[in-house]
Amino acid sequence: MSSNNGRPILEDVNVIVAGQGGDGSLTVITMLAELLRTNGLNVYTERDVLSRIRGGHAAATMRAFAGDRYCIGSSINLLVALDEEAVEKNARQLDSRSVVVYDDSGGPVPSVLPQGAIVYSAPFNRIAMRTMRRELYKNSIAFGVVGRLLGLEDETLRETFIKHFQRMGQVILEYNLEALGLGFHLADEKGIHEGEGLYRIKKTAPEKRMLITGNESVAFGFMVAGGRFFCGYPITPSSEILETLQKWLPRCGGVARQTEDELAGINMAIGAALTGTRAMVATSGPGFSLMQEGVGHCGSGEIPLVIVDCQRSGPSTGMPTKPEQSDLNLMVFGGHGDFPRIVLAPGHPDDCFYLTVDATNLADKYQCPVFLAMDQALSQNIATVEPFNLDGVSAVPGKRVEAEDIEKAGVYKRYEFTEDNISAFAAPGTPGGMSLVTGNEHNEWGLVSTDPVNRVKMMNKRMDKIKAAKSELPTARHFGDKDAKIGFIGIGSLFGVILEAMEDLEREGVKTRYLQPRTVWPVLEDVLAFIDKCSRVYVVELNAQAQLAHILVHQGADPGKIINILKYDGIPFRPAELAKRVLGEEGRMIKKGKKEAKLQ
Amino acid sequence: MTMQTHIKTFTPARPIWCAGCGDFAVQGVLEKSLHKMGIPPHKLMLLAGIGCSGTIQNNLPCYGYHALHGRVLPAAIGAKLANPDLTVIAAGGDGDGYAIGAGHLVHTFKSNPSIMYVVMNNCNYGLTKGQASPTSPIGYHDNPESGMDSILLGLSFPSATFIARGFSGNPEQLERLMEAALDHTESRKGFAFLEVLSPCVTYYDTHREWRARVYNVDEEEGYDPADRSMAFQRCLKLRDEGRIPIGRIFKGVHPSLESLTLNKAELPPAQQKVGHEGHREQYDKFINSYMG
Repeated sequence: MSSNNGRPILEDVNVIVAGQGGDGSLTVITMLAELLRTNGLNVYTERDVLSRIRGGHAAATMRAFAGDRYCIGSSINLLVALDEEAVEKNARQLDSRSVVVYDDSGGPVPSVLPQGAIVYSAPFNRIAMRTMRRELYKNSIAFGVVGRLLGLEDETLRETFIKHFQRMGQVILEYNLEALGLGFHLADEKGIHEGEGLYRIKKTAPEKRMLITGNESVAFGFMVAGGRFFCGYPITPSSEILETLQKWLPRCGGVARQTEDELAGINMAIGAALTGTRAMVATSGPGFSLMQEGVGHCGSGEIPLVIVDCQRSGPSTGMPTKPEQSDLNLMVFGGHGDFPRIVLAPGHPDDCFYLTVDATNLADKYQCPVFLAMDQALSQNIATVEPFNLDGVSAVPGKRVEAEDIEKAGVYKRYEFTEDNISAFAAPGTPGGMSLVTGNEHNEWGLVSTDPVNRVKMMNKRMDKIKAAKSELPTARHFGDKDAKIGFIGIGSLFGVILEAMEDLEREGVKTRYLQPRTVWPVLEDVLAFIDKCSRVYVVELNAQAQLAHILVHQGADPGKIINILKYDGIPFRPAELAKRVLGEEGRMIKKGKKEAKLQ
Repeated sequence: MTMQTHIKTFTPARPIWCAGCGDFAVQGVLEKSLHKMGIPPHKLMLLAGIGCSGTIQNNLPCYGYHALHGRVLPAAIGAKLANPDLTVIAAGGDGDGYAIGAGHLVHTFKSNPSIMYVVMNNCNYGLTKGQASPTSPIGYHDNPESGMDSILLGLSFPSATFIARGFSGNPEQLERLMEAALDHTESRKGFAFLEVLSPCVTYYDTHREWRARVYNVDEEEGYDPADRSMAFQRCLKLRDEGRIPIGRIFKGVHPSLESLTLNKAELPPAQQKVGHEGHREQYDKFINSYMG
């Protein structure tokens, strides 16, 4: 392959396939990701869709890279535009070195591209209609051209098709293979011959990696933690948790059920939790609002429950397919009255797995609601991760009593006052353990009580449980230069963006460090200590009110040290964009510093 | 059972109901039926909603749960699916079950879990001082809407398997119905729906009126509870005549929710031990399915 000499080795490439919803952009990206993964590269994919079944602009983005990246890169190397709108919507992500493959069936490429961008025009739609009689096949034709451009071999592309389409039946596979052949033919016409693409593929023995979304990782974490009851009502972007568990949980003797609404969802899970079964629900903002009454009930009745909130843009029904982190207030302060809760925030699919195991154990141990703060990007984007280490996690049973213990003690009180404020649980069916569980204020027996002395004692028992928990809640992860005076704090899908923006900043001479809090509530000492050690901390959030920053200040962080970087337009941050925002702030700081110096 | 006699657990509370309330009869009959059927207290999970009737779980020695308003059915279904070896009884009133909880009632008829649901219907909101409920007749407290009929609602579901209505003023029949309902759920045949006409003596005393209006289908010769269309026609006709049908109105056959949902090769959810040894093979399969 001497013709490949001089072409860059594929080490970090960002590809967007865009068109109308239903055009098959996601299919192309999914197959590309699968394929490049088998070549030993890591991949990360993102989807940008409208909340509708077909039509409307839809884009899928993939990044293939040789190292560790947890987000889409700052500029797009290759745009596959299946229509004019796809070019217009995505041009801002391109630069002078970008390549555009454009379906010109509907007209010439719009003049919005940056100078220098190379365009390959080809009428995929027209060819599909003319030869295959179905528009449906245009993405398979495009796949042939894209594969060639990425320097992939025809045979490898064919194998990927066979793997992907076989499960849909032989006829579908054959039609798509035919379309792929049309794509190769078209590439030849454009002078993009096999092995002569833009890149050389780095041949490495592929490491064994998983390709998985945050939602699927949460589902699996729950299962491994001994979770055996899940229910939910379909809502974007949480539905894959339900779908994954419906497939896998019954195989382990568990139940995953789709309920008639979110109210039934949380209450059915509560019913299961009452029997001692580890239970979880998953939802998104609007559904989470509906569940609030149940959340408070878990707090008052000391019922263990894991609640996953895959946050999307709000308020109200907002933008269902867009990422946001604007339900933090509802997780931390939601529900009426005072009750303890724990909020965990994973930053990557592997984190989703391990923190869901923790969440499930913690709910059982502290008999309270435990939330997992996800966001749409974390929930639905696909990433390569190390295979989950099952030996590294364990399901730790909560404080239980069996019939023998009760018989020995001669007494059983569901809400007994204890040293650690946790009352042992007797599962229904245990002789002697009969008890009452209620959201009403109750005495140790579970009987309704409004006695003021009991009230205060019972209230303190519940609230103090969490004080003790602080020492064993998941701690933050630290990255970057540990002597840097400028810090970052951010959760969820911002994890990967911040890590990469830090590299950009370092190139600009700005040294930074990053703390990824994995427990958002209660706020742990390590987070406050981090803020203390920095001169200023950029708290990056996908919301308009700086909810995380407010929570930190509420818990003792110095507000004078915090600079909010907020984004709520529904579009995920790109690293360069974040770095630019920080540089802007830093510039202002320098100016302000000079001004202050003058004033003195 | 002897073991429990010397263990001190909570002492059942005394009912908070007004003297003469129909709910006393429901509780009395329930206790008697449970005893007669030999259901031990530790196997019983009694869940109740909000309202006067929603305090019944405080009065029985059992695993009791005071559910959120209208949410007793989903909670009961969750408990049953998690541990089908428990006897799960949901209880509540007409406001709890037919107003705020109506959606769940519909879906419980649809899914047919083996739980018993006792609705103490007094046609008003007793605990909040007598406002109109979904079953209040036109004219009660200026109520302009006609009341709903839960029996006819239940009959419209092909998956409904046990529908009965009792009257607290007829405890002998109520006892028979309650036992039949319990037998239905204990033999895992599905959802046993039992509405009990349970007059509220304080805000809407219907004792005499209902005694005059009830019509017992159990005593009607030729009434076949397995015949859905006959049940429907009979109930409609009786309603038009101003009568209230009581008795075992319908008994059908349909697979129960837990028989469709639970993996019979595994222990039920609540009986599994946590720790991944038992299912390691499935977990490895999961991981492998994402390895490509």
